[in-house]
Amino acid sequence: MALASSQSLPSLQSLARISLFAALVGVLGLLPKIDLPVGVPITAQTLGVMLAGCLLGPARAFLALLLFLGAVALGLPLLTGGRGGLGVFMAPSAGFLLGFPVGAAVTGLAMRKLPGPVLARAAVASALGGIGAVYLCGVPVLAATAQLNWHGALIASSMFLPGDLVKCVLSAFLVQTVLRGLPEWQPHGG
Amino acid sequence: MKLATLPLAATALAVWGSLPVAAGTALGAALLLASLGRRAWTAAPGARGLAVALALIVALHAWQDSWGAGLAAALRVLTLVVLGYLLTATTRFEDLLGIAEALCAPFRLFGLRPDRLALGLGLMLRFVESFFAQWQRLDEAHRVRAGRSGGLKLLAPLALHVMRTAERVGDALTTRLGD
Repeated sequence: MALASSQSLPSLQSLARISLFAALVGVLGLLPKIDLPVGVPITAQTLGVMLAGCLLGPARAFLALLLFLGAVALGLPLLTGGRGGLGVFMAPSAGFLLGFPVGAAVTGLAMRKLPGPVLARAAVASALGGIGAVYLCGVPVLAATAQLNWHGALIASSMFLPGDLVKCVLSAFLVQTVLRGLPEWQPHGG
Repeated sequence: MKLATLPLAATALAVWGSLPVAAGTALGAALLLASLGRRAWTAAPGARGLAVALALIVALHAWQDSWGAGLAAALRVLTLVVLGYLLTATTRFEDLLGIAEALCAPFRLFGLRPDRLALGLGLMLRFVESFFAQWQRLDEAHRVRAGRSGGLKLLAPLALHVMRTAERVGDALTTRLGD
């Protein structure tokens, strides 16, 4: 089944899912910052990375985030705070952006391979992809563009870690709720 | 062609980007930006985030190395961000889309169709607006019921809406275009 769904990748059904999830990631950037009860503001955009990974499977999630970044590169102000254009890919945080498709793919792959109930799978997959893979892309680029050493780059990035961990839990609950509400949705054939 | 200046400038700055050079290029980029006149103000929304990032770079460098190194690094980043903004602001969306389609042509080898890129982008743009409106409707409904903004609780219904719409749009596209 999984093979069949990746073979039909360029189909129009897939294109619709890819484009609409790219749109969802864009909308998440437009939403006002959501304040958590403890007072940490989180931006929802990386939540979109996790959701796309869990709900679309690795290949389509990768393409969805690639499409999103493509639209941003073309100048659409879809990033949190209304940013867009080629400038954002020159900024120190560019690595995190480029990590979005990678993170979505890793999330999708982990979601497919891991055993266990949906909630646990989605939480671990979101952490692996949405935090692990995204930071792995983001921190070296931050270190290089801002000419910091690893230590400094890690410290600067770790400010976002608590918010990102909360997003993993949130993503897991969302995926569970959504899959319950739409049981016929096949993220990756099963 | 304009597009190629950006990676070239990035490489040049990484190699020769001492403090005076970086200051000069940042000034040059700022002058170019000012030459846009009133349109330069459309860059304002991104400016605050950039300022925070630049301040962080300077501070971290000052802490671990020196003020000069921090300033040079921040000015290099500023130059590239402004250049990137200028490129996007002075190029028409259709032209950029054309370049993107040309760049994606090699993906044909993997069975992806570059002409679908435009369709995908179009769908995405159309639905960003639609999903945002949906979010506002959900939020309004929640306000009426609970007296305050719905916040995170609305993400699940929004995601469901996105998924249902994706199925419908997929069916509609298949009916129209066949596949």
